[in-house]
Amino acid sequence: MSAMLEVDALNKSFGGKPALEGVSFSVKEGEIYGLLGHNGAGKSTTLGIILGMVAPDGGEAMIGGVSVQRERAAALKRVGSIFEAPSFYEYLSGWENLRILVNYSGPFDPVEAARVVEMVGLTERIRSKVRTYSHGMRQRLALAQALLPMPRVLLLDEPTDGLDPEGIKWFRDFVLGLRDKEGMTVLFNSHLLAEVEVMCDRVAILKQGRRIHEGPVRGLSGEERVFEVDLEPMEAAVPFLELQGCRMLGSNRMTMPDDVDPAVIVAALVGIHVRVMAFSPVRRSLEDLYLEITK
Amino acid sequence: MMFLRQLRGELRKLFARPRSYLGYGAFLVMELIIVLVYKMTDGQVFMRRLMERNGYESDFYFSSLTLTFMVMLFSMFLLGSIFFALVAGDVVAKETEDGNLRLVLARPISRLRLLLVKWTATALYTFSFVFFVGITGYLMAVVAVGWEGGLFVAEPKMKVFAVYPEWSDGITRIAWGAAGIGVSMITLSTLAFMFSCFRIKPAAATIITLAILFVDMILQNFPFFRPFEEWFITWRMSCWVYLFEKDISWAKLAESYAFLGGLNFTFFVIGLLAFQLRDFKT
Repeated sequence: MSAMLEVDALNKSFGGKPALEGVSFSVKEGEIYGLLGHNGAGKSTTLGIILGMVAPDGGEAMIGGVSVQRERAAALKRVGSIFEAPSFYEYLSGWENLRILVNYSGPFDPVEAARVVEMVGLTERIRSKVRTYSHGMRQRLALAQALLPMPRVLLLDEPTDGLDPEGIKWFRDFVLGLRDKEGMTVLFNSHLLAEVEVMCDRVAILKQGRRIHEGPVRGLSGEERVFEVDLEPMEAAVPFLELQGCRMLGSNRMTMPDDVDPAVIVAALVGIHVRVMAFSPVRRSLEDLYLEITK
Repeated sequence: MMFLRQLRGELRKLFARPRSYLGYGAFLVMELIIVLVYKMTDGQVFMRRLMERNGYESDFYFSSLTLTFMVMLFSMFLLGSIFFALVAGDVVAKETEDGNLRLVLARPISRLRLLLVKWTATALYTFSFVFFVGITGYLMAVVAVGWEGGLFVAEPKMKVFAVYPEWSDGITRIAWGAAGIGVSMITLSTLAFMFSCFRIKPAAATIITLAILFVDMILQNFPFFRPFEEWFITWRMSCWVYLFEKDISWAKLAESYAFLGGLNFTFFVIGLLAFQLRDFKT
């Protein structure tokens, strides 16, 4: 699959203080890519550069092969975005907000708008003033405006902040549905690691303006397999395990090389009269990885 | 077509704001006060004496047309400048502050086009508001003194003195005058609009605009600056009064409006440059 979104060697500083230093990544078509990092890590600046709202000191962002910095209008033609706490014109209805915002991208199509409003479940309240909307409804309206006109790339900046668990689940299922049905490419910027873990195919972790990790979420490739073990006697087991390439992590955890079969190891341990009371893989969550990398 | 659709959206926002209705209300109260002042107090005596001294029958010329002229002159001077500075000072700065602009700037529209749309909407709003004041001022004046009578215009600062005994001539000049004020006021709005494009609070854009205009107005009255008064913005903005001259000095009008047009262009370009160079975080 070709890259739909590419960010190449982005540099940006504010008042002499670097906010981004050589950040690069690419997102394939139909992929959901997570951008993680502490506050001030550079996530929003990256998003701002991708949208052409922030001018980079160096590097460039490409959407569908078109440079945002050189041909912003063409690059953003099929990009939808949602920001944390989106601000609408409170004194206008949801429908009027959509009409005004969509007209900045192209002609407003009422039939298409009604279809999208239906998709996000806002049909009944779309004619009400936005000031009467709950946070969840505002987020649905934000989603509707991002989907008009239907984008190929969706940029989500902390979209589930402040939503209740039901709202978060609805949002997650909706975005996953967009990817599955429409083949949409999604860049997902969030603090909610559990959400990123469930939704994203790959993640990049930013720290102090630098990309310090990139990889797939499921399986977290490149990391060693970790097992939790309870063996007796340990003194007999450890030299044998080390001979097989395993490495002890404290008293009851160890790593095992990819090419070694755990079943063979367990059988061999039993063969040398070691009692195997526990031998189970430990799955590291994205949170474990994130905390380990960013500490 | 796209531009017109975007302009319609900007106008919808401007006219739908609760502040717009407060503005209409404030102007109606102001007009009412001015009409009442001329109807009930010494203001009327002064006006009548001025007419009589110049050989005009005050019962005929102290009319709804003359009152409308006074309403437009004073309400625009006293309240119009504040209101237009407030509206135009908000156009970009308030949307930036509220975060609305993020959703707009994330769309494939250039900043130049966005500012052009917003400026055009602000100019149309300013222009139409002056007509609102003219029409409502005239209706109030009709209620106060009846519709009959001629138009008496005396504006010593711009040295304009004219009378129109025919109602049709008078109302035509009032309509021209309203159009002239509308165009003049666009310069004030453009100045506030320019500051609104800077990285400052909306209130700051309004205050700086008003400060510049008041300083401009005060300085031009200093004896030292009298010979240079035509270089002052507010003096040029007063050129609409020439539209009430019996024989309109088109050359003087064209010169002043060209001056104001040049200022508008300069203010817009400065605002655009400031806006182009800004980073907007998501």
